[in-house]
Parts: sequence; structure tokens; C-alpha cells
Amino acid sequence: MLATYLPVLLILLMTITFATANLVITRLLGPSRAGGSVKSMTYESGMNPVGTARKRFNVRFYLIAVVFLVFDVEIIFLYPWATTFANLEPGSQDSAIWLGRIMFFLATTVVAYLYGWRKGVFKFD
Amino acid sequence: MSIIEKVQYIWPEIAMFIATCVVMVLGLSPSLAIRRLCSPVCGAALVIAGLLAVMGPDTAPAALPHLMPYAKVIVAGVGLLLLLLLAGTVDREEESLIATGRARFNPLRTNRAEFYAFFLFSLTGVMLCASASDLIWLFLALELTSLPTYIMVTVSTRGRSHEAGVKYFFLGALGAATFLYGFAMLYGGTGTTDLSGIRQHFAEHGINSIAMLGLLLSVLGIGFKIAAVPMHFYTPDVYEGAAAPVSAFLAFVPKTAGFLAIMLIASLPGWGYGPVAGADGVIRDGLGAGASLPEALRLTLWVMAALTMTVGNVLALWQNSVKRILAYSSIAHSGYMLVGIIAGPVGERFIDNGLAAVLFYLLAYGVMNVGTFAVLACLEKSGGAALQSGARSTGLETGATTEIETVDDLRGLCRTHPAMGWTMVLCSLSLLGFPPLLGFMGKFPLFTAGIAAGEIPLVIVLGINSAIAAFYYLRLVAAPLLEDPSPASPPATPTPFPARPMAALLSAASVLILVGFAGVLMKQSAKAGETVVSPGHTAGRGASDGVAAWNP
Repeated sequence: MLATYLPVLLILLMTITFATANLVITRLLGPSRAGGSVKSMTYESGMNPVGTARKRFNVRFYLIAVVFLVFDVEIIFLYPWATTFANLEPGSQDSAIWLGRIMFFLATTVVAYLYGWRKGVFKFD
Repeated sequence: MSIIEKVQYIWPEIAMFIATCVVMVLGLSPSLAIRRLCSPVCGAALVIAGLLAVMGPDTAPAALPHLMPYAKVIVAGVGLLLLLLLAGTVDREEESLIATGRARFNPLRTNRAEFYAFFLFSLTGVMLCASASDLIWLFLALELTSLPTYIMVTVSTRGRSHEAGVKYFFLGALGAATFLYGFAMLYGGTGTTDLSGIRQHFAEHGINSIAMLGLLLSVLGIGFKIAAVPMHFYTPDVYEGAAAPVSAFLAFVPKTAGFLAIMLIASLPGWGYGPVAGADGVIRDGLGAGASLPEALRLTLWVMAALTMTVGNVLALWQNSVKRILAYSSIAHSGYMLVGIIAGPVGERFIDNGLAAVLFYLLAYGVMNVGTFAVLACLEKSGGAALQSGARSTGLETGATTEIETVDDLRGLCRTHPAMGWTMVLCSLSLLGFPPLLGFMGKFPLFTAGIAAGEIPLVIVLGINSAIAAFYYLRLVAAPLLEDPSPASPPATPTPFPARPMAALLSAASVLILVGFAGVLMKQSAKAGETVVSPGHTAGRGASDGVAAWNP
């Protein structure tokens, strides 16, 4: 019974080992220099940050983000459907049902789009 | 049963869903005439859903095979009353600004489309609860009922409704988490989420401790939906903070969903348990040996019922706000109905079947409850707390009125506004269970079913509580009927929405007229409350022809 949990224990051990090993090895092998202006930057080897993080964004980005999120998630659902649909037996009775299901799902997406459009989410002025 | 076979049972829900999509787009039209179509479309959807439920299949392979048509028809019927009452709740201020030319229609500001769409979504959720054949389905249906109500509470008025909405949402999340945990344990204990599968597992292998914990957690969590102790704390604050039409909605819709869900959960083990001596001489709880729920579940429900009734009624005595009185009375009524769940289907006759009593009571409670809240929604007075705490000050005449609130505001209503006053009198008497009215017809079978199941102490608690309730209901009766209008408070004026008094009058009329049809309604609810016989059940419990339907 407990043996079934062995893989979980292994994963746990591997996680702990990996995390500690990374810290220890960096400490041992890495050259230790005193902090400079470049080293203390937010992204040490990335782009230079400009301005403060507490900048104001236009509130309409919030609506865009919400709409994007909704449609993004809806589109993701198409992938598992598509892979399963391809594995259906050709000409089987299930295929009509499967197609009907996803069409219903897409129809709800269209309603969401219509709603967003009437709500004026896509209007930039 | 696959989802494809299940579609034949959910045509009412599908019709409602389509109407929801239409309403969501219609309500955003710049044209007032099209915007106004929202509530007629909702009404048509409810009528069609009711008709589809009546015409649809009568029997489903479930523990309660005839539940669906009855439950869906009462939801559609009371839904129509609620729809009338909701007129003008969310967009009164915006619409009056637009009508007087002081503002242009702004689709981002208006809430009408969402409000009516959420109204339909919530009712769809209740109907789906009745059709649930799976724990996951049941969970989604319960959440579809509740999630829209959180938003409906929040947008219903300015000021206090925001606090109410947030409180309702967080406690609702707690309740949902509790019964979801219970559902997970039921799955863990039985290995299936299918309700008939779980029933079969219980009948064959008994109830293990994990599944029992699951049953208890589910019932406790669903207690939030029906506002039962210990999940009742939100009720008075939320009902008081929301606009009166939305409070009426909250008192009926989530409660119905909760009771349907509790019936389904309680029917998993069934009502055939009792003490049985094992081979080793130890007395245990066994299926087929008696006529009650498993002892742990029965005891939990028993304590919940007794506490819910008592807390609701006793706390209602100290309130001065009519909405808070009605909120506590809503808690108390949940306690009454839990008696029917504990009793269960003792016999085939209506008066012996606790589930039928609950189903009938839900209809009666829905009707009389809408009536009392409708009186509050129909009348308003100038000035009040909403002005000071209002988020947006528009300096408009509509912003300067508030709903009537205290018992003092009801004084002399039978003289100043006879229709409203008499509605209040009739519906309060009905809630009290005054003999010829609908509330009495509803409460009586709860007593008889409790006695038939041998739950005498609980029936005594129910009787004492009905007496306590008389104190505050009679206040609501005496204030409009016997007292003079209070000189201190400003006079109440009717709200400019003719649909609201229509809802009030229809409810008051139903409280009287439905008594004449009580025979038909009781017959229908007795049918809806029939359960199939569990394999271990002894004779005299439920319909014997259900065996074929039970084992698919």
C-alpha cells in the first residue's frame, strides 16, 4: 500500500536535492564579487528597467485583458477536443455528437463575443 | 446514463440558457424599446421552460424518479413572480437620466442585461439541481445557482449592498468549499461520482467512515444555501443590504436548490436504516432494519433542524427592520423543512411523505415570501440612510428615496395603501401558518410526516417554534391592520413600476386561491416525492414498481 507512494517520495527527495544542490554549488563554484551597479539591477542580464513599477495604465487594458483571458481559455479547450476527435473511428455515430458538442461550445463563444461587442469593449476612442 | 441520453431531461434548462444568451445581448441595445424586451424575454423563457418540463419525460432513472417536472414547474412559476418584482431594480437611475436627456446610453455603465441574464442563469441552476445524476453535475448546478446571486446582490442598490455582496460571496465560498470537500470524500469512499452508483455501493457494502464524513460535510455545506445553522450568519445582513426584490429572490432560489440537493444527498443512503444486531451481538446501524436515515446523518440533520428553527425564530423577535425579520423567518422556515427531510418518505400517502411535504412547502414558501418582500419593494419614502452612504451623489429625485424598512413604516398601511397592507397581512398570516391559508397547508404535512416517522421530540420543537413565530408575524399583521400611520416617519409613496404591485397582488391572491387547488398540488408533490425502493428496504416504504427503474 505504502509502496505506491514511493514515486511521490522520490520526487520529493529529488526536488529538495535539486534546490539545495543549486544553492550550494553556486556558492562553491561561482566567483564572488562585491555588488556593483549592474549586479544590483532587477534584471542583471536583461533590459534596463525604466521608471517606477507603480505606473498608471489606461483602465481599458483591464477590459482587453479580461476578454483576452476568456477567449484564450476557450480556444485552449479546442486542442484536447481536436486530438480526441481525430482518433474517433471514421464514420462512427459518435462523430456527429462530438462535432455537435464543440459547435455548441463555439456558439457560446460567439455569444460572449457579441456581448463584448455590444458592451463596447472593442471600441477605442 | 450518458450525457446524450440525459439531454431529453434538460430541455427546459436548454431553453432558459438560450434565452439567457439573447437577454445578455438585448439589454445592451442603445434603443430603449429593445432594452425593455429583457424582462418579457425572461418571462417567455420561464413559461416555455415550465411547459417543456410538463411535456418532458415524467420518469427518470434516479432516486426520486418524478422529481424533475414538479421541481422545474414550481421554479418557473415562482420565477415569474420574482421577475415581475425585479422590474426597475438595477437601472432606475440610469434610465431616468437617459429619459430626461441628462445622459447618453453607455453600455459599460448599465447593468440591466447582466442582471436579467444572471436571474435566468440562477434559475437554470436550480432546474439543473433537480436533474442532477452526478456529484460533479450537482456541484456545478449549485454553483450556477449561487454565483449569479452574489453579483445580483452587489449591483441591486447603492451603498450597503456592496458590503452585503462581499459578505455573501466569502461565506458562499466557504459553504461551497465545505460541500465540495464532502463530495470529494463521497467519491473517495465509494469510487464513483454517479449518484446511482454511490447508492448501489452503499446498499451492497454499507457506508464506510470516509463516505459518512462526506455525507455530513455535504449536508453542512449545502446548509449555506438554505441558510441553516451553523451556516446562517450571512442571512440578515445580506437580505437587509440587498434591494427587497433581490432579497425575495435570495430567500427562494438558493433555498430551493439547496433543498433539492439535500434530498438527493439524503437519498444516497436512503431512509431504511435502523439498529441491527451483528453476528457478534453488537448493535449497529444497518440498512433495511428500520425507517430512518443513517444515525449519524439523522442526528446531524436533527440538530441542524432544531437549532435552525429556534435561532431563526428567537432572533427574529428582537428585530425592528422588516427585512431582518423576514431574513430570520427564512432561516426558521429552512428548519421547518429540514423536519421533512429527516422524516423522509415514510409512506405513499402525501401526509406520510416528508419529501413531498418539503416540495409542497417550497412552493408555498416561495409564493408567500415574494408577497411580503413585494410590499417592501412597492413602497418607498423620501430621505434615508442610502443617501448618506450612497457612493455616487447625483442630486436626483430618484436617489432621494429609499425602500420602507422598519415595522413603523408599515403602520396603518391597510388604510393608506390598502392593496399593499392587505398583501402584507395575508402573506404574514400565511407564513405564520394561519389555518385556511396556503402556509398552513404547507406546514401541516411537515407535522404529520414527522409524527409518521416517529420523530416526536422534533415535532414538539416544531410546534413550539410555530408558536414563537406568532409573536413577530403578528407584529407584521397588526402594524398595517390595527395601528395608525406613524406621524414621525415620512409617508410612503408607491414606486413607479406597475409590475411590482402586480407581483404583490398575485402572491396575495395565490396564498388564497392556491388553497383551492391544494388537492392537485399535494397530489403532484406526493408524486414528486416518491422514492424508489433501495434493495435492502423493507416493505411499506416508497413505490414498489420503482425497482425496475432503480437498477439500470
